[in-house]
Amino acid sequence: MSMEKETWIESILNSTNGITQVVPSDDLFSKISQRIQQEAKVSSKTVWLVAASIAVLVIMNITVINSKSKSTKHSTTAYLEMTVNQSNQLYQ
Amino acid sequence: MIQNQFHFEKLYHEYKKLVFNVALNYLQNVEDAEEVTQDVFIKVYNSLENFNQKSAVKTWIYRITINQCLDFIKQKNSQKRFFIFGKKSQNEQEYLNTTTFEHPGILLENKEEAAILFEVINTLTENQKTAFLLSKLDGLSNPEISEIMQLSISSVESLVFRAKAALQEKLAEKYTNYRKKK
Repeated sequence: MSMEKETWIESILNSTNGITQVVPSDDLFSKISQRIQQEAKVSSKTVWLVAASIAVLVIMNITVINSKSKSTKHSTTAYLEMTVNQSNQLYQ
Repeated sequence: MIQNQFHFEKLYHEYKKLVFNVALNYLQNVEDAEEVTQDVFIKVYNSLENFNQKSAVKTWIYRITINQCLDFIKQKNSQKRFFIFGKKSQNEQEYLNTTTFEHPGILLENKEEAAILFEVINTLTENQKTAFLLSKLDGLSNPEISEIMQLSISSVESLVFRAKAALQEKLAEKYTNYRKKK
């Protein structure tokens, strides 16, 4: 490696010497406090709301499925009865 | 609750510079560093009660900051990938190699050289980058870095050594382009 190249690499590697710490903006703490308050508000109210709506959705789904299966059973037996009555002429 | 709030405020004022500067060195963007600083202190606030004092507060905060930076980079990269429907990258280079970074804390006469260094630092692996930044920019000792990274001292020594070697190699490649420009 040439001397010039080595000096250049060293100058790059040492370029952070004397670095000073950067101060974040003054309003950062108020932004953080705001976010903490928002999160606290969200946690109690929203959690219950979401839980309640999920419960309602599950109950609704179960009732719809139950009523559907009942009505399909009912309609198939009714259809069978009707076709049997129409085709079975012997008993008329 | 009030005592917690008071404790948190004290912690913030004590460690705000540390968190912000680690995030700035890692992410190389002032806005992103502020966002991560916010996330770090929110995490600190939420886990303050569960903090078991097994490690020093400083080490704990360093750990949260580094993890938050890594998560931030991963999140940014995945957003980018989703947008361009691209493939997954192996390190954080994708997000970080977008612009040249001028660190506000670098001496004016070193700005140009430092920009090159920050660009090359982003080519290092995650662990090499963390070890190098903590050693070179934060001036931490190897035992301190080993505690933060939860690695043995010899592993940290090897990481810093390999990071320097990789940087020298990359810079040697860059030197050819630098000469051509001159």
